[in-house]
Amino acid sequence: MDDRPTEVSPRLPGRSDLATITLTFVALGITTQVILLDAGMSPLKAWIASSVIYSATSQFAYIAVSQAGGSEVAAVVAGWIVASRFGILAVSLSRIFRGGVFSRAAAAVHAFDIQVGLAAQQTDMDRAKKAFWWSTAAMLVGWFIGITSGTLLGDVMGDTTRFGIDALFPAALLAIVGNALRTRDGLVAGVVGAVICAALIPIAPAGLPIILSVGGVGAALALSTRTAR
Amino acid sequence: MTTIGIVLVAAGVWGQRLAGMFLVGPILERRPILSRAASLIPAAVICAVIVQLTIANKQQLVIDARLAGLVVAGVLVWRKAPFILIVVAAAATTAIIRAL
Repeated sequence: MDDRPTEVSPRLPGRSDLATITLTFVALGITTQVILLDAGMSPLKAWIASSVIYSATSQFAYIAVSQAGGSEVAAVVAGWIVASRFGILAVSLSRIFRGGVFSRAAAAVHAFDIQVGLAAQQTDMDRAKKAFWWSTAAMLVGWFIGITSGTLLGDVMGDTTRFGIDALFPAALLAIVGNALRTRDGLVAGVVGAVICAALIPIAPAGLPIILSVGGVGAALALSTRTAR
Repeated sequence: MTTIGIVLVAAGVWGQRLAGMFLVGPILERRPILSRAASLIPAAVICAVIVQLTIANKQQLVIDARLAGLVVAGVLVWRKAPFILIVVAAAATTAIIRAL
């Protein structure tokens, strides 16, 4: 990559891109806290959870399973499976960040869709790193403003179903997974995963339908190898 | 979330990120089919979580105002609306239908 210096590289994220990232994570942070408080967590615990877990989707999966009556184990496993997304994003980063163990570890723990996407677009390593760290800074600022104001806000809202808060939760997830659903394989995996889950909800123990939805991946791969022939 | 739940989920999130960078990355680089499969897991599981949250009440399938909110969210995601607009519109739709 470094041997093609004259290649036109996509521009680095500018001020308005960074502001958009910050705003998105402010919104996600507020949404997350409102959902956690609605699930009965104390404000302090909810704030700590979002700071240390640092993954809204994993928290959402955990709460979805426990609210459905699933066991603690099933809730944690659901959170882990959803977090596999970050493992995959870190894999993409491992192609950009070479060298020092510390800088690679620091990059890995900040693997989120937006920054990895921005970094992967760049054609040279230095610019990729710059794009990654600038967007990460924008995200961190947004996330902590969001979870802090969400904690304060959720605490004074009272009866949240009146505001349709339970609809915030799936809408936020759909927005996060939206880009993956634009590819054919992603769409097949998502639709089959959803159907598996819906079919199993009335008959399987709570939490298991979500875990078994990984079967959607098999369906997507089977379909794409068949059409490739 | 319970305290032990917070600790375990956090360990899973951080652990998978570090594993992705240091262990899985080098392995997957040589096995494209595995890396395709791995990249599809989130789409399948997140869609299942959406189903659980939208058309289920514990272990029963139900259709109520939440589904209308999700449909609105779906249209907005498809039109690439900003995140804040998507979640606010979904919540507002559900709240309005409930208030009717």
